[in-house]
Amino acid sequence: MGKKELKVAFFLAWRSLRRGSRSSAILTILIVGMCFTNMIFLPSLFAGIGQTIKTQIVDYEVGNVLVSPQAGEQYITDLDATLDLINSMPGVERATPHYAKGATLKYRQRILGSSIRAIRPTDEKSVSPIYEKMIAGSYLGEGDTGEIIIGKIIAGDPTIPAEEEFYSSLGGVRVGDSITVEFGNGYTKDYRVKGIFSTGWTSSDNSALITWSDMELVEGGSLDKAEYITLKTKPGYSEKFVKDELVSYGVSSQVHTTDDLLSKAIGSVLQSFDIINMVSLIVSIIITTVVLFIVITIKTINSRKQIGILRAIGVDKEVIMHNYGFQVIILATFGIMLGVTLAVLLALYLSYHPIVTPEWSAYMYLTPMDLVSNSLILFAAAIVAGYVPAYQVSREEIQSSMRA
Amino acid sequence: MIECRDLRKLYQMGNVGVRALDGIDLTIGKGEFVGIMGPSGSGKSTLLHMLGLLDIPTSGEITLDGIDVNTLNDYQKTMFRLYKLGYVFQDYALVPELTVAENVSLPAMLRSDRTEEEFQAATEDILQRVGLSDRRDHLQKELSGGEQQRVAIARAIVNRPDILFADEPCANLDTENSTMVLDLFDEINHDMHQTIVMVSHEDWHKKYFHRIIRLRDGKIVEDNHALS
Ligand SMILES: Nc1ncnc2c1ncn2[C@@H]1O[C@H](COP(=O)(O)OP(=O)(O)OP(=O)(O)O)[C@@H](O)[C@H]1O
Ligand SMILES: [Mg+2]
Repeated sequence: MGKKELKVAFFLAWRSLRRGSRSSAILTILIVGMCFTNMIFLPSLFAGIGQTIKTQIVDYEVGNVLVSPQAGEQYITDLDATLDLINSMPGVERATPHYAKGATLKYRQRILGSSIRAIRPTDEKSVSPIYEKMIAGSYLGEGDTGEIIIGKIIAGDPTIPAEEEFYSSLGGVRVGDSITVEFGNGYTKDYRVKGIFSTGWTSSDNSALITWSDMELVEGGSLDKAEYITLKTKPGYSEKFVKDELVSYGVSSQVHTTDDLLSKAIGSVLQSFDIINMVSLIVSIIITTVVLFIVITIKTINSRKQIGILRAIGVDKEVIMHNYGFQVIILATFGIMLGVTLAVLLALYLSYHPIVTPEWSAYMYLTPMDLVSNSLILFAAAIVAGYVPAYQVSREEIQSSMRA
Repeated sequence: MIECRDLRKLYQMGNVGVRALDGIDLTIGKGEFVGIMGPSGSGKSTLLHMLGLLDIPTSGEITLDGIDVNTLNDYQKTMFRLYKLGYVFQDYALVPELTVAENVSLPAMLRSDRTEEEFQAATEDILQRVGLSDRRDHLQKELSGGEQQRVAIARAIVNRPDILFADEPCANLDTENSTMVLDLFDEINHDMHQTIVMVSHEDWHKKYFHRIIRLRDGKIVEDNHALS
């Protein structure tokens, strides 16, 4: 098989596609393109959902690294010293403590059980972006007392009757209103609502925050302990690095990165995503393979006599085989190019108009690597689908193909 | 040029064997224009296919241009056909997506001893000869049957084969177009000293042949040079 033969085979393939049935070629390209899009759409959408969930968990729940109390302890004690130690470590942007207390919230006729979380506003701002999510009023200031900020779900909507609510709320609290909070230890106080935030992350929108100093009043003394500490890493430092550092300095033995926690929490969800991804991958490959196989088989069957005569006049069977092989390669290449274009357009569209649900908002998480690997998989399938009938027809006896 | 000895071809159809060729001895010299005639089923196509290396005989020897073709493998046979033989069939079997000129060039393109300029020139030359220069960029579907067959003939002779085989090239043509094709054969036989072996069962074709080999039941029943 020399260069000349390959050139002639390519020449025949190109001419056949250019001057043959236009609609059949376009349809085939379209199907391959659709299969490619189908192959990439669900997996990258799931990856996008995974990414948004991860971002929200980092932002509103555990930060990059979560420091829990030593085994068997309920609190991290000696809080200020611990925070100073953590903040002084390389790779730590800022650490913030968490301390929450169960309480009953009262507003007009509504009563709602919730837990009130104490924050140190400046530190909290560098770890969690709730301060950017204020939809009314403003964030807590460092020395605020008697003020509270609440999530959108707690605030509620005055137009929705209590019995129709999915999550119970206070039925339409506005900034400036006063809420009565009765803590588990009996301490009761009215707080002025300073702001309302909406993060899109349910458990966050279901929370109420007061300052650390207010919580000290509730506890009746200085509060030098925390339930846990979350922290933000500096860019360029891996979560794992910071975690190992904290453990080796003896801050706590219970230190977890987001990935540690995620693999526990949503590992099984990701597994079911994987199954769905696998199914959509296999279906796409099967459709592409079958379509290309049928297209080439029909082409070869319709041209059996012509193939016989071409072989009779001295066209080598390899040329015949590669002719059809190249046709598949060209169709698959254009199909994949179309598919990549469609996938990128879809990803762009979804990045501007993500699919939003109460729990998460999804866009397509699509890396160039995904595009390349899926292209290669589909391309390989296409080559198999095309070369099988091409090989068969090219090996047929000249006599029997000429009689066709 | 062509020699065959005791050529036999047996087709086995279940229990019944068909002796399509039953001991053919034949010598055809360079420049001859030979007609193979005989009733339907007498073995004309089978003989042509054996001589043209398109099929393998059950027994017997074929020597083309001094080469015992039994010694050639499949690829060598393909190359032998490409470099030394030309074919025209009842069916024109042009590649529908290629133009007239591209169809004619195709066998020449595959030859390693032809440059692009050479085969372009050869194609122009042959198209001139078959009278289709003005149709060089047309597709098969834009040509009449007679024109298609002339393209097939041009394709068969573009490589200047030693032997041109033709199996009922006029079967699908009317008398006028048949005459045109036969005149063309006569011309290239005369001008280019082209050896031609042609199967036909039309009596009026006889006058073109130098020599007529008549088959019946796979045997030669008549071989005369009378009309040359
Ligand atoms: N592939 C085959 N299998 C079985 N029998 C065959 C095959 N090819 C040809 N034959 C038989 O061999 C005999 C000779 O066939 P061949 O095609 O050579 O005849 P022909 O002289 O060309 O006839 P026609 O004028 O109809 O074209 C016939 O009896 C035919 O049925
Ligand atoms: Mg015949």
